[in-house]
Amino acid sequence: MSLEPNEFMSKMVSRIGLTADDRKVLQSTADWGLEIAPEMADYFYEYLGRDAEMSAILNESEGRIHRLRETFVDWFHEMFTGMDNWGDAYAERRWRIGLIHVRIGIGPQHVVPAMAVVVHEAGKRAQTDGKNDQLRDALAKICMVDLAFIEQAYIEVSSAAVLKETGWSEGLFRRLVKTGATAM
Amino acid sequence: MAISTEKLTNILQSFVTSTTDIQGAAVVTPDGLPLAASLPGGMDEERVSAMSAAMLSLGDRIGSELARGGIDRIFVEGDKGYGILTSCGEDAVFLVLADKAAKQGLLMLEIKRTLSELKAVLM
Repeated sequence: MSLEPNEFMSKMVSRIGLTADDRKVLQSTADWGLEIAPEMADYFYEYLGRDAEMSAILNESEGRIHRLRETFVDWFHEMFTGMDNWGDAYAERRWRIGLIHVRIGIGPQHVVPAMAVVVHEAGKRAQTDGKNDQLRDALAKICMVDLAFIEQAYIEVSSAAVLKETGWSEGLFRRLVKTGATAM
Repeated sequence: MAISTEKLTNILQSFVTSTTDIQGAAVVTPDGLPLAASLPGGMDEERVSAMSAAMLSLGDRIGSELARGGIDRIFVEGDKGYGILTSCGEDAVFLVLADKAAKQGLLMLEIKRTLSELKAVLM
């Protein structure tokens, strides 16, 4: 199963309803996004670090948490800038971030609530800083697009590994999932 | 030429009813879609098809990875009977369910005979 990041991005943007106005709002507050990014990284990794399993993963190697925090700051800022107006480069980068999460072992069960913390805290900070509701909505939407990439990366990588090891076709795999789920 | 599911079904029904200790049979695509089936009541045709294709494909993979060569059949022996999966050309998988009392030599001969009939329809 090979995901086309750009195609997936378009689908998510359409489903989540990230509008041109949302993009404008995000881009116009990109500096503010960069300013609050380190604080949001603190919330994100403080939340993940509360879990013993996650804490072990985050601190597995020397400097990993530091590198992850730096990546988080870039990632958070990019949600505001949209890099190439949320085009191919943005989609490719989101896909790569998703793959890194899979490789490190930070699964959706950890990322989803951690992302909810970020959305909540960013919303609170926006209110404190006198930003309007549209910014909070737009930020929540783009966070959901990015979250979808991370979740999809898990599915894609798991599926690809099963297909590689079993020789099953994608069609057969989907049928097995469907019939198996029906039987549960 | 279109594949006649009616002919496939007739072959399967004839095979199931005329062969001693055969309980069911199905022909499915390598993607796990049912082409024709004559299965015992209560068995979900869609599920059986997906499982059959998965099993044969996995067997092929094992044959290749573990240097066992091309796979002729997958033979599942349970305390209540047998499940035998045989490749039916490139486009189909043949599943046979047999009772524990079935004579294996006879079973294999009947499967071989039926396979050639099925292949003729699938060509």
